[in-house]
Amino acid sequence: MFLKAQLQWNVIIPADNLDAKGLALQKAIIVRLMDEFAAKKATSSLGYFLAVTSLDKVGEGRVREHSGDVLFPVTFTCLTYKAFSGEVLEGEVHKILKHGVFIRCGPVENIYLSHLKMQGYSFVPGENPIFMSEKAAKIEKGVKLRVMVIGVRYMEAEKEFQAVANLDGDFLGPI
Amino acid sequence: MGDKAGGKGGAKSALKTPLSSGFELNNGSTKSRKGMNVQFEFEDRGGKRDKAANGGKNPVKKPTPPLQLRVEQELPENVTCLMDCEAAQVLEGIQEQMVVLSEDPAIKIPASFDKGLQRAKRGNNYTSLQSVQEVLQNLKKHGVADSELCLIANIHPESADEVFSLVPSLKGKKNKLLEPLNSALDELSKIECSA
Repeated sequence: MFLKAQLQWNVIIPADNLDAKGLALQKAIIVRLMDEFAAKKATSSLGYFLAVTSLDKVGEGRVREHSGDVLFPVTFTCLTYKAFSGEVLEGEVHKILKHGVFIRCGPVENIYLSHLKMQGYSFVPGENPIFMSEKAAKIEKGVKLRVMVIGVRYMEAEKEFQAVANLDGDFLGPI
Repeated sequence: MGDKAGGKGGAKSALKTPLSSGFELNNGSTKSRKGMNVQFEFEDRGGKRDKAANGGKNPVKKPTPPLQLRVEQELPENVTCLMDCEAAQVLEGIQEQMVVLSEDPAIKIPASFDKGLQRAKRGNNYTSLQSVQEVLQNLKKHGVADSELCLIANIHPESADEVFSLVPSLKGKKNKLLEPLNSALDELSKIECSA
C-alpha cells in the first residue's frame, strides 16, 4: 500500500554551500535532502522510500561548532510503499521453486507463496517449471496472482522487506 | 512466520519446541532430546488441554480468525494511506520532471521510484481520481477506515461479497455496509477504464 508521510529530518549543509543570496542555499538543501532520502532506501515503519513530493518547511539553521557546517531542520512530505499483513495485492511471479513461488509487487521483490498455501496446485518440473492446478490453471513466470499477505519482515542490514503470502481463499488466485 | 500449523481436519499438531520449555507430553507421544523437532498426537479431551510451550494452545484445530488489516494501528503519526490511483498521479507528475531532474547529476532519485511508479500505474484503472475519492468518501461516513477504502479501490471488486471476503475487518459491519457498498461499487464500475 502506498503511504504519504510528513517527516522532519536534519539536513547538514557544508559551509561552502552557504550563499548570501539564498537561492543556491535552497537548492543545496533540496539536493542534500534528496541525497539522504535516496540513500535511506527504506525503514521498517514506512517501507520503501519512493519520492520526496514537497518541501513544507525549512527551519532556522544552527551552526555546528568545529566544522562550520549548518544544520537545518527540514519538514517534507514523501511517498513510500509498504506491504502490510492482511493486505490483498496483485503481484507477478518471477521465480518458481519446488516448494513455492516468489512474487514481486512494486519494490517488494520477495513475496513467498508456499505450495502449502496453494491448495489444488502441484509442481510440474521441467525446463520451465510451473504449478498446475486440477482445473489446468497454470502458475508460471510472468503470471499475475492476487494473494493475501500473511506476514511481513524487514531486514535492517539489507534494507529489504520479505513477505509471505496466501493463495487459499475466495477471490484469490491467478488474474 | 516460522511456525508450521499442521493437522487440518484432525487433532495433530507439529511443534518445534525443545523439551526444556517444560510442556507435558501425552501418551503415545515421543520424547526426544533437547532441541530436536517432535510431532505429537493429542487426544481431544474436551475441557482439559495439554500445556504446550506456547501457553496452552488448543491442539484441536479451531477455525483461525481471518487475518485483519491493521494498517492504522501500525502507522506512525503524520502518515496516511494512498490509493494506487492517487500515488500514480503523484509519481507520474514527478516522472514528467525527470528529464529536468536527471540533467543535474547532483540530484539522486531513489532506487525504488521506477518500481513504485509501475506498480501505481498498474493499479490505476480509473478514469477520474476525483470521482473515486468522492465515491469512497461516502463509505467513510459508514465507518470504513482509510486503509480499507484504499484496499477496496486497489482491488477493483465486482461485488460486495468480494469486498467482505478480501477485507474481513468489514464483516462486522456487513448489515450496515451492504447497501452503501453496492452503490459505491456500482459507481466505481462506471469510472473504471476497460483493461
